[in-house]
Amino acid sequence: MSGKASSSQHTVGFSGSGGLSHVYIQYPPLRCRIPGSRGLYYDDGSKLLLGPTSNQVFSWKTVPFDPHVAPTSDSISEGPILSIRYSLDAKFIAIQRSSQEIQIWHRETGETFSHKCRSESESILGFFWTDCPLCDFVLVKTSGLDLLACDYESKLLDLVETRRLNVSWYVYTHESRLVLLASGMQCKTFTGFQLSSAGIVRLPRFEMAMAKSEANSKPVLAAEDIYIVTVYGRIYCMQIDRVAMLLHSYRFYRDAVVQQGSMPVYSSKIAVSVVDNVLLVHQVDAKVVILYDIFADSRAPISAPLPLLFRGFPRSNTSSSRFSGKDGESAEANISDHEAIIYGDDWTFLVPDLICDVANNFLWKIHLDLEAISASSSEVPSVLEFLQRRKLEANKAKQLCLAITRTVILERRPVSMVARVIDVLVSNYSYSIKTGSYLKGIKVERTSISSGAHVNSPRSSANISASGIDALGKSYEHEPSARVENESLNRSSNISTSDSEDEAHFESLKNTTTSLQKLDRENILGAESASNEAQPSSSQSQHPGLNNNPLNASVSERQELQLASPAISPDEMYSFVFAPVEEEMVGDPSYLVAIIVEFLRSTNLEKIKVHPNLYVLTIQLLARNERYTELTLFIINKVLEPSKEVAMQLLESGRQNFQIRKLGLDMVRHLSLHHDYVVLLVQDGYYLEALRYARKHKVTTVRPSLFLEAALASNDSQLLAAVLRFFSDFIPGFRNTSDHHTYHRILSEMNSAIAT
Amino acid sequence: MGLASVNTVIEDMQICIFDLRRGQEEGRELDKILFFFPADSPSSKKLSVIGLGEGLIAFTRIFSPEAACEVIEAERHSHVFYEAEPDIWMVMMIEKSVESEATWRIDALREILQEVHSLFMMFHGSIRAMLENEPTGGLVRSHLYPFIMDYLSAFQERSPLDLEHCCSDFLVGKKLHLPSFRDCLTRRRTVQMLTVGREAAIEVQLLVRILESCAGTTPCHSLILFQDLLVSTTISADDTINLFAYSVLRLTPRALSSGVSSWSYLLKGNTVSHIAAASTLAHYGSASEHLFHSHGNSPGQDSSYNVKRPLWHDKWSKGKDGFLVTDVWGREMDSMISATPTIWLQETEEKVYLCAYQYRGLTLIILIPVSSISNGEQGVSLLKRQVLENASLKILKVEEKLSKGWGGENAYHVKGYRYLLVDDDRNTSRASPPVKASTLTKESLLAMSKLREEVDLEKRRGKLDSTDHKKNLEICIRAKNNAWVIAHTMRGKELYMVLEKANETLLYASDAVEKFSNGYCGGTFSLD
Repeated sequence: MSGKASSSQHTVGFSGSGGLSHVYIQYPPLRCRIPGSRGLYYDDGSKLLLGPTSNQVFSWKTVPFDPHVAPTSDSISEGPILSIRYSLDAKFIAIQRSSQEIQIWHRETGETFSHKCRSESESILGFFWTDCPLCDFVLVKTSGLDLLACDYESKLLDLVETRRLNVSWYVYTHESRLVLLASGMQCKTFTGFQLSSAGIVRLPRFEMAMAKSEANSKPVLAAEDIYIVTVYGRIYCMQIDRVAMLLHSYRFYRDAVVQQGSMPVYSSKIAVSVVDNVLLVHQVDAKVVILYDIFADSRAPISAPLPLLFRGFPRSNTSSSRFSGKDGESAEANISDHEAIIYGDDWTFLVPDLICDVANNFLWKIHLDLEAISASSSEVPSVLEFLQRRKLEANKAKQLCLAITRTVILERRPVSMVARVIDVLVSNYSYSIKTGSYLKGIKVERTSISSGAHVNSPRSSANISASGIDALGKSYEHEPSARVENESLNRSSNISTSDSEDEAHFESLKNTTTSLQKLDRENILGAESASNEAQPSSSQSQHPGLNNNPLNASVSERQELQLASPAISPDEMYSFVFAPVEEEMVGDPSYLVAIIVEFLRSTNLEKIKVHPNLYVLTIQLLARNERYTELTLFIINKVLEPSKEVAMQLLESGRQNFQIRKLGLDMVRHLSLHHDYVVLLVQDGYYLEALRYARKHKVTTVRPSLFLEAALASNDSQLLAAVLRFFSDFIPGFRNTSDHHTYHRILSEMNSAIAT
Repeated sequence: MGLASVNTVIEDMQICIFDLRRGQEEGRELDKILFFFPADSPSSKKLSVIGLGEGLIAFTRIFSPEAACEVIEAERHSHVFYEAEPDIWMVMMIEKSVESEATWRIDALREILQEVHSLFMMFHGSIRAMLENEPTGGLVRSHLYPFIMDYLSAFQERSPLDLEHCCSDFLVGKKLHLPSFRDCLTRRRTVQMLTVGREAAIEVQLLVRILESCAGTTPCHSLILFQDLLVSTTISADDTINLFAYSVLRLTPRALSSGVSSWSYLLKGNTVSHIAAASTLAHYGSASEHLFHSHGNSPGQDSSYNVKRPLWHDKWSKGKDGFLVTDVWGREMDSMISATPTIWLQETEEKVYLCAYQYRGLTLIILIPVSSISNGEQGVSLLKRQVLENASLKILKVEEKLSKGWGGENAYHVKGYRYLLVDDDRNTSRASPPVKASTLTKESLLAMSKLREEVDLEKRRGKLDSTDHKKNLEICIRAKNNAWVIAHTMRGKELYMVLEKANETLLYASDAVEKFSNGYCGGTFSLD
């Protein structure tokens, strides 16, 4: 025991030293220890971790991931359990009792019925529930697939369709709705079916590449060597070639399977996870993980292999915090000694991003350390591209993007490089606007606010994200575990809705190399598969029993759902990049102006509207340094687009330069801000012009006394008479006002004075 | 072309520059004279011109110490005065022609004096500074003479006809062509801008930023021209005017390919009337140089002055790397590399290298502070290479964008209108292309010239009244030939237009102005 503890300390100490890691698991794990457990099963369809005992099955919700979630239990009859899955609507439990028999359990009534294979020659390899319209339940047997419909009334599974073929083993993920059936001597011939809500798509039979070690030995492919991976709405299959020490990737299209390239592996045991569309290849023996972002065609890893970090383990403040920090859980404190064994033999990697420590009955969720990843590369534009693709921790990615952009500008990196950074951000924003994911985020925020009891103003998003900046600098070790929930909840909502369709579009926009025809296919294949994810999560939430912590969930919703995408709007660019940078920058503004112009170019290219405040800032920068000639050009050529804010700033800056003031005046006139224009004309002493303008545009909001006072001040009786006369004609009833009386009297006094 | 008897050639003209602070003692009056044209005039004539000028200045200063006389109209002569620097006066005296029509505008003539002086300042610094530097006056005289002669020759060289004459025959009288009523729809000392769309403007600004940062920490100024139009500038208005004028004279593609007439209306004089003047100056340029030398007050010293002649015609050419080169500024001692020209910026009083780069219609002028480059020519050529490296892609892009959006020589023609639009605050002007303006009849042009004279006068009065408010003015005149001649000034902006073959009602005329104003001046002139 003590030996294990010390080794764990060592591991923690190593990985904790300065963030030498890009991926981490967060303490505490989801503890799923129950007395009398007969092992743990993960049902990726309903996203439940299932722990059956002899007469009960406990289920833990894994989405959203909450380490403190309490299990719900269903009682089942005793018997062997080979496999267990909840139906997608969570009404039934299916238990494989033997290689011949499946038992279906109705949860509400507790009624059961069995489904058995017809012949002894075939045996059940596995089963899963599906949302395919044809059937509810798919049975994978050595002789092929049985598509079954669940008929609760008559208590049997109706056979809808059978697909006959020899199957050695199979792989299925609910995420992709794809089942891959292996056959042949080496088990390297595959037949695939996608059971999506649009129907069943049969993929062409294909063979996987396998290197031979010697001339006569033929390695056999095992189910553990195949991973179905869903990334950016596309479906890939990763195949481990143990002889060649390569990880081959295949991409699935509707009518083709295309080998995409291979990545080297450095361990005999390999596991693959996907976190937020980033492919993690765990080199289990080497205890490191390599990250790939296979959005682009590049197969280069994001960064060097680094260990998986174990985070938040209360190690330094040993005994005291152990009790205070874990209210009531101190009984389990001794277990935590085992927790830190990274890549232990008992680790099972679950699709897509969970790790189950079978020995300790822990469930870990894998997280990306976006900060560490972004800090590890100096190629800023590509880091930003990477961050902009992150959906899971959109807020964090966004804050990182903003921080990086600010830094790059403050460090006065070459303009061309900053320009590329800006292009990345702007084009991503433009894309998110087109697909609506940016607006969607905002919409969600609004609705959640209206329904929630703790209402924030819509502007609060800014506050929240601003506070997020502060949080970035700190380590997350002291952060409450609520953050984890938030992320996972956010994730569930993202993936379930139209987001995945966006991905497919995005991809089709970006991926120019693939032919159009192929794109069509993959759209169907990719988007379909993910667009139905809504069902499991929504069906779960219908169950009051599962949702045992509603308050907590609603809070997290309010904070995190607002960000569906890390896209940064021009407004945010202004408030979180340009404005703070301008405050910090000293000296010559040329550099910042150059950056702003680059930003304007980028937004102009994408036809995005820029916040007038940015224009105002530019004017201030130029005016402060008395670069009036350039400012004039900026205004005249509409590089700074006209708006009231801009006009007002021009008038303000025009105090030092008459020419600039005039530009502001002209802009006010062009914008038809009649009232302001008249007032400004009067200020400048153009009374008659102001009156003519007022008459032409029927500006009645300017007080006549303003003109009358000005005319009086000029000591010109003619002018005063003209003004007086004008208002008498222009404003009905003016003759009866006190203004008229006063000034009429003054005028007659003036005239009599002249006469005498 | 009707070569007939349009007599705008000035029969008798003198230009002189003198310093009131010099030659105070009797017998040394000639010392005052810094420049005299024609140089071969007898001393007595020179002295009488100067004496008259000096007397008039002294007299008028009694009444107006701040601004002495601007113009004296005598029976047979007009004297145009311009105080270029304190106590340094330029006077132009021209004989009124027999045809007795006022064929020129005084302000247009003064603008010439102003321009030549500003350009001189740009290249050589102030006259006063030169005099203080070398009190004998030899230095400044040796600079002024070729400079002004080169400048005046600018009036001759735009017509292909002229060139022929230059070569064949230069024994024509001492005549000089000056701006006449035919140029009434132009304004010297203004800049003509290219109108660009937002996208192109952003690209231009990006290029400006690149050029700005090309010398490292000290920002470089730049000027970008497309054809003969200004696209962008980062220097003050006055410096821009000077450099723009110089560029159009010597640097733009059209200026480089001499012999091809510039379409820029400002510089395109009336081809017809050039012939005589051209040959005159050709004559002066070559033959009278020796006259000047022999006449100089400090003979024998001239050769020792290293006189640069930046306005010397045909001295600029495009180098292999796209940069324009000239040997006017001399050559490096040990190499064939021509020295990079330097100019003075008025506003900052900074000496800068002038590097001009040309790509098709695009001319970039990069002004690099001399202080920022430690190792002279080497540093400059290094910097040029850097500019090419950093900016060449952008230059291509900008050129493409601008030429795509450019409407050609007649882009700013407005059908039915012959106009001149001046923005006094920004020192910019825009006008009907010269080809179109020249279709107007002599009557219309004369009427317009006269009207402008009036407006000039009115403006000057306004200035003297020292109210900050520029008067708004609206004049519509029905000319003899039933054309409408209209002037309209509105808070610093001026619009002149001639409508020939127009309807006779005044309403029509003001309607036309309104339409033009709304369509082309952003409604500046339409308030009612």
